[in-house]
Amino acid sequence: VISLDLGVLLPVLAPVAGAVLVLAVDVALPTVERVHYGLAFAALLVGGGGTLGALGTAAADASRTLCLPGGSPCFYAVSGLSATLQLAALLAAAVTLLLAWPLEQRREAGRTAVMVALVLAATSGAVGVAAARDLGSWLVTLELATLPVVALAALPGTRRAIAGAVQLLTTSIVSFAVLALAAACWFAATGTPTLLSGSAAAASSGPQRGLLSLSVVLVLAGVGFKLSLVPFHAWTPTTYAGSPLPIAVFLAGVSKVAALGALLVVISAVTSLGRPGLVGVAVLAIASMTLGNVMALRQDDVVRLLAWSTVAQAGWVVLPLLSVTALGVSASAGYLVTYLVATLVAFTVVAVTLRGGAARAGRRLTAYRGLLRSQPLVGGALALALMSLAGLPPGLLGLIGKVVALRPVLVEGWWFVAVLAAINAVLGVAVYLRWFRAWPSTPATSSRWRWGASPWSSCPWRRSSSSAPSGDEGPDGAGNDAQCLHVSQTCTSTSTGSRPPPSSARSGPCSSASAPSSPGADSSGSSR
Amino acid sequence: VALIFLILAPAAAGLWLLGWARSTRGARAHDVALAASIVALVVALFCAWVRPEVDAPWVPALGLRWHFALDGISIPLVLLTAALTVGVVLHSRGREPGRGADGEGSTATFYACLLLVEFAALATFVTRDAIGFFIAFELVLIPMWVLIARFGDEHASEATRADASNRFVFFTVLGSTLMLLGILLLVTGSGTSDLTVLAARHGSGLPAGRQVVIAALLVAGLGIKVPLWPAHTWLPPAHTVAPTAGSVLLAAVLLKMGTYGIIRVAMPTVPQGFGVVAPGLAVAGVVGILWGGLACLVERDLKRLVAYSSVAHMGFVALGLASGTQTGLQAALFANIAHGLVSGLLFFVVGGLKERWGSSDLTVARDALRETSPRMGYALVVGFAAALGLPGLVGFWGEFLAVYAAWSPAAGRPTGLFRVLAVLAVLGFALAAGYALRVLRLVWAGRPDEAGAVAGAVAAVQTEAPGIRTHTEPSGALEQAGATAAHPASTGRSGATAYPGPARQSAPGSPTGSLRWSPQGPTRADARGREWGVIAVLVAAVIAAGVMPRPLLALTARESAVIINGVREPTVVTPTSTIVEAGR
Repeated sequence: VISLDLGVLLPVLAPVAGAVLVLAVDVALPTVERVHYGLAFAALLVGGGGTLGALGTAAADASRTLCLPGGSPCFYAVSGLSATLQLAALLAAAVTLLLAWPLEQRREAGRTAVMVALVLAATSGAVGVAAARDLGSWLVTLELATLPVVALAALPGTRRAIAGAVQLLTTSIVSFAVLALAAACWFAATGTPTLLSGSAAAASSGPQRGLLSLSVVLVLAGVGFKLSLVPFHAWTPTTYAGSPLPIAVFLAGVSKVAALGALLVVISAVTSLGRPGLVGVAVLAIASMTLGNVMALRQDDVVRLLAWSTVAQAGWVVLPLLSVTALGVSASAGYLVTYLVATLVAFTVVAVTLRGGAARAGRRLTAYRGLLRSQPLVGGALALALMSLAGLPPGLLGLIGKVVALRPVLVEGWWFVAVLAAINAVLGVAVYLRWFRAWPSTPATSSRWRWGASPWSSCPWRRSSSSAPSGDEGPDGAGNDAQCLHVSQTCTSTSTGSRPPPSSARSGPCSSASAPSSPGADSSGSSR
Repeated sequence: VALIFLILAPAAAGLWLLGWARSTRGARAHDVALAASIVALVVALFCAWVRPEVDAPWVPALGLRWHFALDGISIPLVLLTAALTVGVVLHSRGREPGRGADGEGSTATFYACLLLVEFAALATFVTRDAIGFFIAFELVLIPMWVLIARFGDEHASEATRADASNRFVFFTVLGSTLMLLGILLLVTGSGTSDLTVLAARHGSGLPAGRQVVIAALLVAGLGIKVPLWPAHTWLPPAHTVAPTAGSVLLAAVLLKMGTYGIIRVAMPTVPQGFGVVAPGLAVAGVVGILWGGLACLVERDLKRLVAYSSVAHMGFVALGLASGTQTGLQAALFANIAHGLVSGLLFFVVGGLKERWGSSDLTVARDALRETSPRMGYALVVGFAAALGLPGLVGFWGEFLAVYAAWSPAAGRPTGLFRVLAVLAVLGFALAAGYALRVLRLVWAGRPDEAGAVAGAVAAVQTEAPGIRTHTEPSGALEQAGATAAHPASTGRSGATAYPGPARQSAPGSPTGSLRWSPQGPTRADARGREWGVIAVLVAAVIAAGVMPRPLLALTARESAVIINGVREPTVVTPTSTIVEAGR
């Protein structure tokens, strides 16, 4: 009979039990709302406690359960790596629920129970897939992590939400089909339903190694949908922007952990990807980074920007897998954790800003102007998160993540890919600095000022002083005066008060010269 | 412990100013920053004396260690950084940018950024861990970015500032990420990230091909920061827009991080690979010398001009490094420090002038600086004289020795190429003389006929102007070419200047003209107090180090011999000392 160790399975079972309990409570007491959240947090806490024991253990002495008689193979094994991913998924789910926490009592309390139960179910799938060691539970848990999210995305019922959910559903179905095909290939190649390194090693030297490579490539494609790697990313911005913010957080957090967990299970089992597989990984990674960063540079909506940023970050997450070794696998997981922390913080700050009254406008980049002055703590947290994503100090976490992610690539000798990744690091910095740029300034008096198009940019001081043809400049600067006066009037008339106009008596190229020829009242008082 | 205290003192004060002291008054923020920077300077002096070393594990998974130490190469840079920060903080008192617009809180942020830049630079100079070096190198970015974007030139539009600051960050991030690739290759190839160990191995255990890749990545990455020629385009806008304090730190400290990185990370660890890359480095350096010099001849903006002259000076440093001899390395180290002092001085002066003038446009005719503000004028003369490599000032030794080293490079380097480069670099001296004298003629001697100055000044300058101008004769052709290119309108060097069209109608000294420039009369505009103190100390340093270069050269002799020869206890035969003797 198959062995069963409930203690090892606790991280998976606790969210499931929580979901069942929430639904039961909802039947019994349909009006309560916050109880559901309490139950959910308790379930996640118990699950998180269950992962702690396995943290840091090596892959060799993983705690196993669901073993066939005789001790092997086991269908569930928790190594330090999977425990880390499980804990990350549980934490991300907790953050999701915190963001969904209702501020005031609403009438449609019934939805809360559904929402909480769905989140818990998907979380248990994400937790389970990281430790699954056979094709059946691997496929089922991965889908368990995906399908509830479709329902979650559709839950608000608005047109945008439905559109996003339909895209997500279509993608999920395609992804499932690809993964099922991959599972079939795997089974055909290895002859066993287990995802263990022994069986794969036997197959990789046998006549079926082509089939095995195909299987791994298909896994990469199927998981690519969920990780939103580039050819499979199209759903990401629509769904993120259409669904409620907590669901976007869930997609960016728990779903990513589930997808990477599933990928790492397979990658840990195979010993080599073969040249085509590796080239595939490299192309996916670099294409995701590049497209994600370039598109993120064009966004004005912060949620869309973060959505494209997750596309770019997904490229960084799979980049270390160019080295199909324990080093590459742990580097990938390590980068995922840094990404997760930073992204969750960024989304949390966006959620806080959205709640702070700025309903729709809070989604625009301009709403964050002066954030560091008006709300230093919130702004500081977001700054750290974005700098982490950019891999710049003071975001040391992201900086070290970048080091960790690039190391396996260089160990395997992919210089060219590494240089492309380096260029993408610069693009990433551009993305996040673009958002960060206006924070240290004074808060905007009106939010209609677009980023990069504030009134001052229309005030060509530099042009008036340095690039005017020098023939214009007589000893008295007569040619310049009219121009400067004109400019200073432009400045004073366009700046609406959060800053004094940049011309003043002691400074300004034309400030002290305009007296005799001044036709109108120049407001900068320069005629003295 | 003292070392950790050295780098943590500015960091702690900076973070405190940033986080908890937002509401403090500007004066208090200044006092805190001044105290922190003085403490850092005192500790730096102490550390330079004792030379402590710290070594403890930090992130075992990455093999990252807290390994800090000082040696003859880092001591001058640490002292330069610490001293210049004190100067910058002192100088900024009362002229903090952004005060008027954003109130006192932004003053604290300004000083915090200055201190954080100091912290990162000190950490870069004392760390002995390759990955730690990368982290410290990156730490500079955001504070400097804030200094440029937030506290930059108030006359520049927001878009200009954004462009300059973003360019700075993007170029530097590209450079440091390339450097990171090189460092990771080095670390994974040799199994340790301890630079002392790596230097002791002197590249043994790394195959030659890999060494070349590592050296190429490191030199390319660090070269962007130096900045070497094709990647120098971020420097002039950053300097133009940055506030005076930012410009000084950028030129005197941040650029040194690039050359220091080449000396510390690339040269000793992969000597063979560096030998292969060196001719490229030398060519980039010499192109930078000529490019910077030519750009300076026609540049209209004084701050940009000094920035381009930095490109030229750093080209000499690169040439010295590439020669691969101990003389070359010592020359590069000396030129490094020299450029730090000279560019620091020049940016203080030029920043002060820009503050007074409202712009730093050279085409605007102004009063003679020696009349309106003789102290600033004197400092400007010393600065540009040092920049053109006048013997007896600090700029001379490093550049002269770099050219000397390039003439006879190390064995294995293409001697012919290096000799051609040495000749071209000497041409760079002529260009330097050309642009330095051009600036002095325009700014120091002034153009009273064009400026229409206060009556007394006009008379004084007009009588002396011809005498001044004869100094430009030796490099007359080049200088005149530059001047004419910059001022197509002013067609001659005589007093009789022909103006086209409408400008002719107003005679020199007309009421309009004198009204325009009268606020900057001789009584108001000169440097005094703190500003003059800081500038005077720098002038003294420029002269002192120029007259007595030996202490500095002796300080670097041992370590550079170690780097070149790869032995721990070298026989101290310093060709440099003999040359210096001969040079006297």
